Amino acid sequence: MLFENMTMAVHAIKANKMRSLLTMLGIIIGIGSVIAIVSIGDTMRFMISDIYKDVGTTLAYVYIWPSDGSDMRQSDYFSVDDIDRIREVYKDEITYIDSSSQQNVEAVFGRNKVKFALEGIGSNYPNVHKINIIYGRNLNEGDIKGRKNHVVLEAEGAKELFGTENAVGKSFRTTIYGDTDDYDVVGVYRKEENPFLAMVNGSSENKEGYLPESILVWPNDTIYNIRLYAKEGTDMNSFSDRFSQYIAKSKNRKREDVTFYSVSSEMGSVDQIMGGLSAAVGGIAAISLLVGGIGIMNIMLVSVTERTREIGIRKALGAKTWDVMVQFLTESAILSAMGGIIGVITGAGLVFLGGTLLGMTVVIKPMVIIIAVGFSALVGVFFGIYPASKAAGKDPIEALRYE
Amino acid sequence: MWKKKEVIPDYITQNVSEDLIKLVDMVKIYDTGSIKVLGLKRVNLTIKRGEFVAIMGQSGSGKSTLMNILGCLDRPTMGHYFLDGIDTADLPSDDLSAIRNRKIGFVFQSFNLISRTSALKNVELPMTYAHISKKAREKRALELLERVGLGTRYEHMPNELSGGQRQRVAIARALANEPPLILADEPTGNLDSASSVEIMELFSKLHNEGATVVLVTHEEDIAAFTNRIIRFRDGSLVSDTPNIPVSKREKEESEEPEEPEEPEEPEYQSGDALC
Ligand SMILES: Nc1ncnc2c1ncn2[C@@H]1O[C@H](COP(=O)(O)OP(=O)(O)O)[C@@H](O)[C@H]1O
Ligand SMILES: [Mg+2]
Repeated sequence: MLFENMTMAVHAIKANKMRSLLTMLGIIIGIGSVIAIVSIGDTMRFMISDIYKDVGTTLAYVYIWPSDGSDMRQSDYFSVDDIDRIREVYKDEITYIDSSSQQNVEAVFGRNKVKFALEGIGSNYPNVHKINIIYGRNLNEGDIKGRKNHVVLEAEGAKELFGTENAVGKSFRTTIYGDTDDYDVVGVYRKEENPFLAMVNGSSENKEGYLPESILVWPNDTIYNIRLYAKEGTDMNSFSDRFSQYIAKSKNRKREDVTFYSVSSEMGSVDQIMGGLSAAVGGIAAISLLVGGIGIMNIMLVSVTERTREIGIRKALGAKTWDVMVQFLTESAILSAMGGIIGVITGAGLVFLGGTLLGMTVVIKPMVIIIAVGFSALVGVFFGIYPASKAAGKDPIEALRYE
Repeated sequence: MWKKKEVIPDYITQNVSEDLIKLVDMVKIYDTGSIKVLGLKRVNLTIKRGEFVAIMGQSGSGKSTLMNILGCLDRPTMGHYFLDGIDTADLPSDDLSAIRNRKIGFVFQSFNLISRTSALKNVELPMTYAHISKKAREKRALELLERVGLGTRYEHMPNELSGGQRQRVAIARALANEPPLILADEPTGNLDSASSVEIMELFSKLHNEGATVVLVTHEEDIAAFTNRIIRFRDGSLVSDTPNIPVSKREKEESEEPEEPEEPEEPEYQSGDALC
C-alpha cells in the first residue's frame, strides 16, 4: 500500500511538472542553504584541524599579561632556569618547551643578500613539529648544547641565497645581536604550506629557517613568551587551567594575569564565527522552509479540490478516511522530499564548485544529507496534514457529483 | 505509521441473508438548512439474491437517493436498510467503506474511471483497498478485463477508450472483489444505443452467472432487459412488477416465423463488431 501510494504520488507530481517544481522552490532554497552552510562549516573545521595537525594540536603559548592593565614587572618575564624548572615539573605532561625565540636577519653570500626569519629551537623540536628535510639533516642535540652556528634553511630561501636548493655544507655571513659571524647550512627542508593557511598568512617577504635556541637565548636573558607542546591527547582546556595556575603561583600573579593561548582556543573562536554565520543562514533557511511548506500546503489544497471527483470514486470503491489521508500525506511528503533532494544537490554542488575553485578539500557529510532530506519530508507531512484531512473528510456523494 | 491494521467486522465478510436488500419503512429527508426536502417516503422493498432489477421514474423521483442508500454512500434518515442482513443505519463511515468495498460494485453513468490511470490500475483499485497482494490483483484484473472483452487494452488510459469500452472497464472494476451486489445508476445514460445494448448484454450475462444487479434507468428499452421493474414517483414506490427480459422474449418471438426482425438488431451487431 505504501508503495502504491508512492507511485500514485509520483504520478500526480509528474502530471504537473512545472507547478510541482515551483512549489518545491522554497524547500529547495531552504534545504540548499542549510546544506551549503553546514558543509562550509564542516569544510572550515576540517581545514583548520588539518592546519593544526601540521602545527600540532597541543601547541600553546604562555605569557603574563596583567589583566588590570598595569605595567609588566621584571619578574613577569621567564628565565632559562624557569623554563628548565617547568620542563622538570611537567616532564610527564609537556613533550617540548622553548623560549619561543626568533630573529630576523640578513644573510650574505657573495653578492647575494636574503632576509631570513630564523626560529630558535631545542633539539627535540623535530619530534613535535614536522620538518621535511630534503638535503642534509635536522639540528641535533650537539648543535644546541654546543651553541654551534648551524642552520637549517627552507629550500626557496636556500636557492635564492646560494643559487641551489642543495646548500648543505655552504655557509653565509650574518649579524645577530651585533655579532657578525659565519653560519653553516647543515640541512634544507621543504615547506608544504596548506593553501588555506597560505591564503590567511599572505606571502611573507622573509624566508624561513631554524637555528639552535641557545644562540638566541642567554642564561641571564628575559623571555617574554614560552612555547610548549603538551603530550599528544592532552585535554588542553584542563591542562591550560592547571598550568596557568602553576605559572600564576610561581610568578606571584593572579590566574587571570596568565595568558594561555592554544589551538583549541583558536578552534573555539572559529566555531564562534561559524556559529554566528550558521544562525544567520539557519534563520533564512527556516523562513524559506516555512514559506516552502505553506506553498506545499497551498498546492495540495488546489490538488485536493481538483481531484475531488477522484476522491469520491476512491471512497465509493472502499477507501477509508485513513487511506485517503495517507495518499495525500505521501504526496506532499514526496513533493517536499524531492525539493529537499534538489536542494541538497544544489547546495552541495555550489559548495563543491566553490571548494574546487579554491583548491580546498570539501567536506559534505552523508548524515547531513540524510537529515536534510528526512526533514524536508517531515515538512511535507506537517504541511500536508490540513489538505489531506480535507480530502479524507469529503463526503463521497458530494465528491462524486463534483464537476 | 503508514499502515493501519485492517479490522473488518465479521458481519461484513460473511454472507448471512437470502434477502440481499431489505428496506423497512425507510425515509430519506435532505436537510438543506432552510427547507427539508423529502427524498424518499417510507419505502419497503426486498430484493433477493440473483435478481436483476430496474428502478425507473422521472427526474427527481428519488432514484439516485435510493441508489446512494443502497450503495451505503448515504444513510437513511428513518427506518432501516439491511444489506445482506447488516443494518447499515448506524455504522461509522469507515465500516460503510469496508461494506462498499466487499459487498457492492458500482457502475456510474459518467463511468468515473480515475483519469491518467490505466484500465488495469482502475480495475485493481477496489482490490488495493481490500489489501490484496499486487500479484493477485494484477492477475484478477487481467481476467476481468478479458471477461468484459478488453483483454488487450489493459494498458490504455480512460481517455484512449470509447464510452462503451470505458463502461466495460467500470463493470470489470465493479466485479473486482466479487461483490454480491452490482449497483448501476443510469449505466447507459452516456452511451449510444449500440454500446447501450452491449452493456446491457453484459449485465444480463452477469445476472445469468448469478450476480444480483440493480440498475436505474428512465429508458423502457433498458429496463426491458431486467426481470423486475420498480417505479418511483415523487419519492414513493408506485409499482413493482415482474418482467420477462428481452433476451427471453426474443427467443419466444423467434419461434413465431411471421414476426419481422427487431429494429435494434443491426445496431446491436455493428456495436458488437466495434469491439
Ligand atoms: N443533496 C440533496 N440535497 C437536497 N435535496 C436533494 C439532494 N439530493 C436529492 N435531493 C432531492 O431529492 C429528490 C430526489 O432526487 P434524486 O434522488 O436525485 O432524483 P432522481 O435521481 O430520480 O432524479 C429531489 O427532489 C431532489 O431535489
Ligand atoms: Mg438521478
